[in-house]
Amino acid sequence: SDGSIIQPKSYIWGTLNIKMFVDSLTEQGITDIKVEESGDGSIIHLPNDDTLIQIESGSTHIMCGGDETVRIKLRDTLLKCLQKI
Amino acid sequence: LVMRGNKLQLIEPRQALMDLGLAEHHLRFTSTLYVEEEGPPSKVAENIYQLVKSKCKDQPTQYSSDGSISVSDVLISVSGEEDDKTKSVLVSWSHQDEVLGSFLLNLVNTELTTATE
Repeated sequence: SDGSIIQPKSYIWGTLNIKMFVDSLTEQGITDIKVEESGDGSIIHLPNDDTLIQIESGSTHIMCGGDETVRIKLRDTLLKCLQKI
Repeated sequence: LVMRGNKLQLIEPRQALMDLGLAEHHLRFTSTLYVEEEGPPSKVAENIYQLVKSKCKDQPTQYSSDGSISVSDVLISVSGEEDDKTKSVLVSWSHQDEVLGSFLLNLVNTELTTATE
């Protein structure tokens, strides 16, 4: 692949339910989860996976190391908790 | 594709969300890789720029003077001190650029890193 494949883009909407997301992560086998309130959002810290997830009402930022299996697991878990078109 | 009155119209997904009164949820990823390279971070940035330019000919690629690289809407930046033996490479993209972002992360990871932390 040269990275030029055109893929349909998907859009997501809504606000993330933190409890639902944390429960889903637990179901995925991620158990070391620290949730902190921060301003008008939350920060989820996953020390074992070298990951920080910054959540506000209209946005989520997943910051992790270079391990794609971790990132994809987090992405798919998150997408299950939001609405898509 | 949405119904407006009794007409079907093809509109941008972002516009469709707005029309329906739904707030888009912005999802962004930033993944950090570690590259073993002595010398200034700009040297690593230059290597990445050349690599990306040769592999992604169809994507608009820019190299800024601050050492960051943009490939379409995906951003790559290198940080670290000249004396550090490893430099951090941050690859950042939004959910809409998932395919390109993931491709670039894997590209830099396989071509330039010798060890990931």
